[in-house]
Formats: sequence, structure tokens, C-alpha cells
Amino acid sequence: MIDIVGITETNQEIAPGYRLLRLALDQDVEVRPGQFAMLKPRHAREPLLRRALAIYRIDGTRRISFLYQVLGRGTEALAQIGEGGEVETMLPLGNSWPLPRADERAIVAAGGIGSASVLMLCEELKKAAVNTTVFFGAANAVAAVGCGLDDFGSFGFPLTLSTVDGSAGEHALVTAPLERSLKQGGGRGSTIYACGPWAMMKRVSELADQFEVNCFASLEAPMGCGFGVCVGCVVAVRTEETLGYGSYKRVCTDGSIFNAKTVRWDINTIGH
Amino acid sequence: MSTNHDPRLAVTIAGINFNNPVLGASGTFGYGLEFAELIDLNRLGGFVTKGLSAKPLSGNPPPRIVETHGGMLNAIGLQNIGARAFVEEKLPLLRRYDTRVIANVFGYSDDEYVEAITMLNDGEGIAAYELNISCPNVKEGGIVIGNSPSAAARLTASAKRASSRPLIVKLSPNVTDVGEVAHAIADAGADCLSLINTVVGMSIDVKTRRPRLSYGTGGLSGPAIRPIAVRMVYEAAKAVDLPLIGIGGIASTSDALEFMIAGATAVQIGTANYYDPAITMRVVDGLSDYCAINDIARIGDITRSLMTE
Repeated sequence: MIDIVGITETNQEIAPGYRLLRLALDQDVEVRPGQFAMLKPRHAREPLLRRALAIYRIDGTRRISFLYQVLGRGTEALAQIGEGGEVETMLPLGNSWPLPRADERAIVAAGGIGSASVLMLCEELKKAAVNTTVFFGAANAVAAVGCGLDDFGSFGFPLTLSTVDGSAGEHALVTAPLERSLKQGGGRGSTIYACGPWAMMKRVSELADQFEVNCFASLEAPMGCGFGVCVGCVVAVRTEETLGYGSYKRVCTDGSIFNAKTVRWDINTIGH
Repeated sequence: MSTNHDPRLAVTIAGINFNNPVLGASGTFGYGLEFAELIDLNRLGGFVTKGLSAKPLSGNPPPRIVETHGGMLNAIGLQNIGARAFVEEKLPLLRRYDTRVIANVFGYSDDEYVEAITMLNDGEGIAAYELNISCPNVKEGGIVIGNSPSAAARLTASAKRASSRPLIVKLSPNVTDVGEVAHAIADAGADCLSLINTVVGMSIDVKTRRPRLSYGTGGLSGPAIRPIAVRMVYEAAKAVDLPLIGIGGIASTSDALEFMIAGATAVQIGTANYYDPAITMRVVDGLSDYCAINDIARIGDITRSLMTE
């Protein structure tokens, strides 16, 4: 974990409301798929707190990209940064996606901007020649582009696109084609990697249980610090250990990736 | 590891020698070790642990934090590993650093505070205790005690008897007259007062008409509360002769100096650690610069130096 100032190389709009921020760093970083960074425009007084963004891609060890949706004060402030703009950058944070064994298969389920957390995972799966299927869901055709559809298409994995309004791909939530595939036996010997809205991941987790497939989910929560001290970003988990950090785990340092079986999908409200 | 400390910044509170008056505040500094990768802990005056209770606590359900203008609300609910685990798992690692460790202590009753202190008395490497009688995010203990001068005095006396170390009592801003509470706690035997804890606040999601925090209300921290905190340190300094530690929205050297001029011997930096984890180091350097520029031999000379005429 380092805290440095990144210099903005590009911060371009990919589609209305979606941007790609690429930063040049003056130190080497090693990033594993699924890790994130805490970002804020340098010297900005408002908003106060940094924002957690998934690391979308790293080129070499000093050029790092973030794909993000402009949703609130924090991301609006990031959207204003121009070329050469300085960004306070703490990274890499959180755990990473556990990769499958070479003889296992992978199912990647990306919902909305949750895609940002799984692009590097797809890169690793490609490198490791893991048999991988991608289910890619977005609100509409424009959002699908904003969520990096073209980048995901470049791996050559079988990819099923679905949109909520039917403007591209299948007119369905991303969980519908996933469920169909699992019913047809597509889950055998597979691990599901899910990142997206809470309701989507909850449904993916239910499907994983139903079809007895391993499932990991990358969670999102409002974060104060991103490195474990504020204990603000917790999620309720199933555990025998009911005290201390037992019943609530920090998304930032205990996650952000959790075995879906351990998450109390029934009682958490994060992400709603 | 040897660190060159600026001798002008050394301060003493209740017999404890701090290399400088800049401390990390409870609840924003974890158990200290989380910052070891980010700053040189040897250059930090000290830090106060997350509130420790006799038994581990699981805290409140999420959502626990929400950002507001110039600050944030939190209702963590004192999730912590417990005093025993702190002594056994964290203290041995903290002893490697030349910084003063202050254990913040919490309980739901006077007996539970005393129980936690008794456990911590076994730990080597704790400089002092900070009694948390001001947490707004629990239904028993905390603020319920801090709002009542008599309850605060009773607990202070019990804690002081149980404690093998100097006792700092952390005051709540959610009172009408901080001087009255400060007096009662000083008379009961406290060695130092720290103030302020967070200010009770609330934020509502207008779409759902629900509070943004699961607990309903939360504690406001950050730069937004600093003027309230400076005023209360000033009032406490008028009310008691005890050393004071100023807390509340400090995010720069100048902010820290305000508290010291108002009456504080040292300061704690809280919320700024979240978004600017090296802030404590910059304030240490900034205080050295201030001493150099203003020809100040000891930073303690500015404590209680407010000009009112």
C-alpha cells in the first residue's frame, strides 16, 4: 500500500456518464485482479473523503486506469480533472480474486459498472488459458459501452450481453442468461466471479447455491479510509464468531472480495 | 530506529513525555499498526486506540458512515477486538515504536469500564488511558455518562482507583456547560481532559425518508466541527487547571495551533487521517517551522496564550 500523487494522462468520457481515468505514477506498483484504490483530486477540500474505485487495468507498473460512473459528489469531482491534473492515490487496497485451477472453468458475471472490478480478472484468466464465459449486463446499450463492453469483447471469451431496456443484447437482467446456462449444466467445475449491484450479486449467490457452484463476489460500500481503520464499510457475514470483527467484516481490508456463501445477503443494506 | 525529534516540540502531560504534541485520535487510528506502512510512527507524538471494551463488540449494522459537507457522520458502535486481544496481539508489535500509546476505554456500565482497565493494566507499553464517556453511538455508557456531571465524576473516580496509569477523560460536546462537567471530572481525580468527541447529528435520504445511518443519528466529525471544538477547549481551559488535549476537525498546522492557543497542551487529529493519512507528519513538521519562525523555545509556551484584549 502506497499513498502517492498520480498525474492524469486522460480522463475521457467513454459514454455519457462513464469515464476512463488513466494515471501515471512515479513509483512501481503491483496490482492483483480485483484490488482497488482510494482517489481524490489533490488539494480538493470538498468532498472530504476519497472515493474507492476498482483498478480497471494496469499497463506495466506505473500506468493505472479506472473505469467509473459519475454518480455523486466524489465521482463528479474526479470527472472534473483534466490532463496533467494531480490525483491523491492510495493503492493497491483490498484482497484479490482467487484464480481457479487450470482444470476448472470460470464464469464472470458483471453488472453495470461492477465490470471495472473484473477486467483484470479476465486478463488473468486469458493468460492462464482458463475456459471462461462472461455474462455482461448493463442498463442499456450506451451504458454497456460505458461499462467497457468493447474491452471485454477483446478476450474472445463467449460473452452474453443483456440490457435492462433491451436496447442491446438480451432484454433481461444479467442473472437471467446466467441462470439458463447453469440450468443447462454450465456451472459444472466452475467458479462464478460476480461484481455488480447488491441485488444482482444476491441473486447470483442464490443461483450459485442452487446449482452448487463456487461463487465469489466483490462488494462495494461507502468507505471512510479504505485501509481498515474507520470500520465504516462493514458487511454482515455468517460466522460462528459473533463478537469483535466476527459478525461484521470490513469491505476494504477483509474484502472487497468475499466467498458469496459467507455474506448475509438477507440483512445487509449496502448498495441499495 | 533512531529518529531526530525537535526538542522544542516535547510536551509532558500527567508525567508522560511526548516527543511532540501531535496524536492520532481514537477511532481514526485503528490500533496504530495500520499506519505503519504510511507514516513513520516513531515521529508521531502518540495515538489513541479504537475504544476498547472488556469483551469484544460487534458494533452497529451498516450503513455506518455518511459524508456531509465539511465532515462525516459515523455510527460505528465501538466495534473492537476487546482489551484482552489488544494486550496480547497488538501491544507486542506496538512496543517496537517510539510513540506513546493511549488506550481508549469503553464500557456499558461503570463495572465494565473498570473491568477493561484492569485487563489493560496487565499490558506493557500503554502510557495512559482515555476514558470514553462521550460516544454518541451506543445506548448505554458513553454519552449517557458524559452528559451528567455526577455520573461522569463517579465513573472517573472508579476508573482512577482501578487504573495503574494516568487517566485522560474524553468529553462530549453535546452538553450545555462543558465547564461544569470538566470541573466535576477534575475533582474526581482525572489527570487530563481531551475534547471534543463527535457532535450528534443526522442525515436523511429524502427519497426513502429514512436516516442515512442505520443507527438513526451519528457523530459528526471533520473540519465542520472545529470552531465548536476550539470554543469548548477555551471554555474548559477557563474552568479547570488540568492539561487539555484538543480534538475536532484538525487538518493543518494552523488548526492545531488554534487549539493550543485556546488551552490545549497537545492535539489529536481524527477524520483527516482517513483522507490524508500523512497529516500527522505534516503537522509535526509545521509546528517545528512555527517555532523556528516565531522564535519559540518550547511549543508548550503557546498553550493557553490566547490574547483577549
